[in-house]
Amino acid sequence: MLRIAGGRVHDPANGVDGAVADVCIADGRIVADVPGHARRIDARGMVVMAGGVDVHAHIAGPAVNAARRVLGGERRADVAMRDRVRRSGTGGTVPSSFVTGHRYALLGYTTVIDAAIAPLAARHALAELRDTPLIDPGFLILLGDNQVVYELIREAGGGTSQTLRDAVAWWLESTGALGVKLVNPGGAERWKRGNGRLTSLDEPVNELGVTPRQVLDALATAAHELGLPHPVHVHCHGLGVAGNARTTLDTMRTLDGRRAHLAHLQFHAYGGRPGGRPRSRAVDLVDALKAQPELTADVGQVMFGPATTITADAQISAVLRDSGDAAWISADTEVETGCGIVPYTYRPSSYTHALQWGIGLELFLLSPDPWRLVLSTDHPNGGSFLSYPRLIRLLMDREYRNDQLRRANEAAIRRTVLLDDLHREYSLNEIAIITRAGPARQLGLADKGHLGVGADADVTVYHDRADREEMFATPRYVIKGGEVVIDDGDLVAAPRGRLLRAGVAHDPEIERTLRPAFERRYTLGFDRYAVSEPWLLEPARRIPAAGERP
Amino acid sequence: MPDRGLPAGCGGCGCVCDDVRVAGASISPACAPGAAWFSQRLEPALPPSRIDGREADPEAALDAAAGILAQADAPLVYGLARTSVEAARSAVGLADRLGALVEPAGAVRDGAGGRAVALRGASTATLGEIRDRAATVVVWREDPLTTHPRLLERLRLDEAQRGARRLVVVDDRETATARSASLHLRVPATGDLDALLALRAAARGLPARAVGALTAQAARRLVDELRGAQNAALLHGSGLAAQPGGHRRVLALHELVRDLSDTCHLVTLALRRDANAAGAEDVLTWQTGFPSAVDLASGAPRSFPGPTSAATRLRAGEVDAVLSVAGDPVVELGGVPAGVPIVALDAVETATTRAARVVFGTAAVGIGAAGTVHRLDGVPVALHAVAAQARPGDDELLRALAARLGGEAQGC
Repeated sequence: MLRIAGGRVHDPANGVDGAVADVCIADGRIVADVPGHARRIDARGMVVMAGGVDVHAHIAGPAVNAARRVLGGERRADVAMRDRVRRSGTGGTVPSSFVTGHRYALLGYTTVIDAAIAPLAARHALAELRDTPLIDPGFLILLGDNQVVYELIREAGGGTSQTLRDAVAWWLESTGALGVKLVNPGGAERWKRGNGRLTSLDEPVNELGVTPRQVLDALATAAHELGLPHPVHVHCHGLGVAGNARTTLDTMRTLDGRRAHLAHLQFHAYGGRPGGRPRSRAVDLVDALKAQPELTADVGQVMFGPATTITADAQISAVLRDSGDAAWISADTEVETGCGIVPYTYRPSSYTHALQWGIGLELFLLSPDPWRLVLSTDHPNGGSFLSYPRLIRLLMDREYRNDQLRRANEAAIRRTVLLDDLHREYSLNEIAIITRAGPARQLGLADKGHLGVGADADVTVYHDRADREEMFATPRYVIKGGEVVIDDGDLVAAPRGRLLRAGVAHDPEIERTLRPAFERRYTLGFDRYAVSEPWLLEPARRIPAAGERP
Repeated sequence: MPDRGLPAGCGGCGCVCDDVRVAGASISPACAPGAAWFSQRLEPALPPSRIDGREADPEAALDAAAGILAQADAPLVYGLARTSVEAARSAVGLADRLGALVEPAGAVRDGAGGRAVALRGASTATLGEIRDRAATVVVWREDPLTTHPRLLERLRLDEAQRGARRLVVVDDRETATARSASLHLRVPATGDLDALLALRAAARGLPARAVGALTAQAARRLVDELRGAQNAALLHGSGLAAQPGGHRRVLALHELVRDLSDTCHLVTLALRRDANAAGAEDVLTWQTGFPSAVDLASGAPRSFPGPTSAATRLRAGEVDAVLSVAGDPVVELGGVPAGVPIVALDAVETATTRAARVVFGTAAVGIGAAGTVHRLDGVPVALHAVAAQARPGDDELLRALAARLGGEAQGC
């Protein structure tokens, strides 16, 4: 039992904005009160928030692990020693698994969602997540290029069907995933066919005749009708390409009426002509998001410095490969997806990089609703999660931001509205929304991101420092599931987290449909595909469908 | 409990075929390495534990093994390529606590391909991609019909199934695979680097020297064929990588792929010999950041293949105990000096188990123990036990050993 006494509590999900209050913990949950003999943490003068929730990052699985292999240089310079509580490892933009958990916790983050796992590799991802302590992990499975899914969409005449809904629910159950991710639907399939490109959402992807728009529509509808805790999570077409905002807006219209999440919106917010200089269309995307209340998004902020691009959008990786001379990985997964990896550095002097950086800030500063547009760097694509504190300072500290603006490529910054008197400074409550309450709500995690009675006892206590970067980089205490894991900035315990997975029922008869399709397409027996090993799946929390929630 | 309905998964080579029926000494579909894998492990060849060549009580053996490892200043953990991902996790956890050097056997047996990937990356694909998309498949100095007998059939590249697709073999040997090829290009083993450079030159329209049968014209023709295919694949392995300077040869192969990738989709597949060669390196990579030659002595991972490779350290007399998990360091690392005590876990008798102070006869993954392996293309395959064996698998044994050393193997 624990009492965090006298801190200023920022718990926007419960309407608490800086009130001085005690936060009480028993049996891993927030409770109304604890007896006087409970351990007491004196939080007077400190800021108390729920543990951070990352809605979109890449931390585990074969793609992330392949990236580690080409990043030997940066990790040799960033080793992490083993000690009484923690395993050793290495850091850099893609830390080893244990170090990923340690460093997220050291930032006060306690829940992280990996946004892109090929279902065929779920066993690998789950094994890595077992070795990623201190966070409750969850992951999204890639279904947007899956050829069995395409067959089902075709059989349904280009739309959704009960069969498709059952198949999606079966896939989630068979992998332990929390949700469904679509990356540039059709793009991987084209990539595998000699680098062909999609030019429109209405162009058939291959001989099955299914179009990207049909995939978006069918899977968004299936996820919506299943009431998944987190709706379909969409990486739009044309990532990084000038003029892609047109497709992003088209995608938003296509999703109309269904819940959906748009990943790393910054990377899809460019005007201009393909092949030409990009411009900012942040204003248009913010307006469009405002008009469709069932949509949510994360920003995908670019931060200057080293990054590693890891994406199922293998085509954009080939562009990055040819833009420099860095290592390049491409990895095709049968039936399901492709993957591209290129180490990358964002430079403030570069027009494009500065514009990307600026567009991310525009999205944050123009967004009227922090609940629907939350913080991410698409770790490690736009930069490491370790840069979140600096990003928070950019949002909270106008003077610092203006100073940074002056260091970035001037022509690019002039293409944004950042010089037009954007006085906005995020409040602590707004930061609490974009880093915990908002992502938790978007993910459908009712027990995360807030400090109400019954919530998971994941709590972060910060010194209230004027330097917000310093403040958010060095929490005083972090409590995970009721256990103090960071004490005075030191990692004192490294417990394992609990897998967050969707709990959605399906008709078992769906296997009669899937089995022959799997046997035709996969080189792994159907009976070995589904994960059932307890060591990979437990402990877990099943997040029920919307209609089944109490 | 053994599952009698599901076909067995085979640990005989990196293919990890998961459709195998085992009947006594024969398996179906027939495969020599597969049959050997099962026949050598279905009936335990080793006692559950042995100390100094004599059968011993398992508890006493655990004490003896823990004593050896606890006293060592510079232990080596070796093998992991013929056991499960679960056992590899436990072994690396143990190595972290011991401050050991970890060397997965795949990096030794298959050569320095991993070093090439670390430098420049690679384009890869799972088996189904190559089966269903690659119009031309080049096999570079490998003989999969002998080493991975069902691979070509699974890729539908055997003569009966390949139709208009083409199988090109680069090799100066008259191998079974070369005899089955659509085109056999005789290139001497000493000419690999030159041949790959000639192909890169041809890809850029530059003049190239003939290397064996790979004349300038043949190089141009092969490059045109790869470019003309929407999707093509290059299969390689120890034939390139286990030669002196192997990583430079593999590097040249990946650079060729990169050169051609502007106009076609070209992938590579490394023919790993052991069932879990990829899995062992995957585990080591996610836990430490490096796939091989990981030295944990300083309290954090350091890896400089060459200086921190197991063979180098053994030669320099810088290893004072060996924990071998389903490996054969006595053969594969060129010997373990007398006086360096070995603790060995294996399902079969090897030169290493014969030389070991303490031996645990364990249940092999996919035979007497369940576990996951990552087959040669990285796809995780869950193997169930097909025989009831009254002995632990490697993972269970390593956990017991870790408990003897004070604490769990895993830690966080």
